[in-house]
Amino acid sequence: MRSLAQARVIAVAAVAAASAPAVASGVPAGSLIENTATATYTANSTSQSVDSNTVSLTVDEVLDVAVASQESGLVPATSTAVLRFKVTNTGNGPEAFTLTANPAVTGNAFDAVVTGIAIDVNANGIYDAGIDTALANGAASPVLAADQPLDVLVLISIPASAAGNATSKVELSAAALTGTGAPGTLFAGAGVSGGDAVVGGSNAQANAQATLVVNKAAVSLVKAASIADPFGGARPVPAAIITYSIVASVTGSGTVTGLTINDPIPAGTTYQRGTLTLEGATLTDAADADAGQGSAAAVAVALGDLVAGATRTVTFKVRIN
Amino acid sequence: MKSHHIIAAACAAVLASGLTAPAAAQAAVALKGDVKVVRQVTENGRTSEKLEDPNQVLPGDQLVFTTRYTNGGNERVDDFVVTNPLPAPVKLAKVDSFEVSVDGGKSFGALAALKVSGADGKPRAAELGDVTHVRWRVASIAPGASGEVKYFAEVR
Repeated sequence: MRSLAQARVIAVAAVAAASAPAVASGVPAGSLIENTATATYTANSTSQSVDSNTVSLTVDEVLDVAVASQESGLVPATSTAVLRFKVTNTGNGPEAFTLTANPAVTGNAFDAVVTGIAIDVNANGIYDAGIDTALANGAASPVLAADQPLDVLVLISIPASAAGNATSKVELSAAALTGTGAPGTLFAGAGVSGGDAVVGGSNAQANAQATLVVNKAAVSLVKAASIADPFGGARPVPAAIITYSIVASVTGSGTVTGLTINDPIPAGTTYQRGTLTLEGATLTDAADADAGQGSAAAVAVALGDLVAGATRTVTFKVRIN
Repeated sequence: MKSHHIIAAACAAVLASGLTAPAAAQAAVALKGDVKVVRQVTENGRTSEKLEDPNQVLPGDQLVFTTRYTNGGNERVDDFVVTNPLPAPVKLAKVDSFEVSVDGGKSFGALAALKVSGADGKPRAAELGDVTHVRWRVASIAPGASGEVKYFAEVR
């Protein structure tokens, strides 16, 4: 018993030193509070000293948690998205928390699909498969020390039926694995070192929401033709040259990625080599470093990523056979 | 037989008093420490404080540490001073009729009169959380008399 008591005192001293910069959630669970008074006095002209007994008690564990969205505004999503949250153990002892992402929040225009939850191990706000730890929705986090935060990513898929600019909230909740309930709810013996665990002011569960906005950029193509005949007119006669222009406009919201225009050469005409242009600049016909290629069968221009509001004009010429 | 018995008893009494006199001078006063948790209990819409055994203690709870002193000797004791270092996990909850120290027990005074070195290195007024020791003074305790000192502290 004596050696056990001494070991506990040493452990407490180490904890006190480590937690010197005031722990927000209070002294760590398991801390020993020991009080001894000493008295001095004079009796028969002699100075005397006496100690009281030492009263001792152990600080129990408080179960508390906080969840905060790390997103500052609407999170645009076309087909997938990652929502960033921070879960913090605001209790005073080590605790794991079940993490549950709920896409069905009241008021949603549509409900997103939660495809998974991940711990952002490298804290870059992006889900890196193989680096970040994937968790099933509703699984428990690792044990967090008192005051320890955890970066959590909620992986989202947007249903195809979701309308452009529609918004949808996703809620992440964290609940102490030991248990939840009204403040003061007791889990006897479930705390640090066999002490009690008691639910704190957070009810030992917390949640936060982040909002998605569907990014549905649309592309419109407008094609026009002008004819120059060999006689200085604009008649579609053999040997006349048709100049086609295709204007690609991105409407809606967000960004289209990997946009490519393909246009077959019309039957009865012959593509005129070296006439393909993008925004007025000539593109070579070869499949090379520039964005375009032309052949007897078709022209193709890769426009890449375009934000809503952008337009690109492609022109090429054919000769009527 | 009977008178012989009385003499033996008297001898024993003399012997006992001779032995216990120095012992009494060494520990005339006994201290008995205790701790309770102060709970706010609301009954019929009225809130009152109740003291409970510290079976469950959490950060923010208020504790009351009590030290009861008893002069068990047959001489008056003078200049009785009780010093109580505060356990590190608690902070003083309120000042009372005692002196405090904010320097580990080297000097004592009223909290309002004490200063500590602030985060910027400049002296600032001492606060409850800075108190390291409390101290009570009792001029004298008559033989057989007893009393109690206490302080309230909050679990950090």
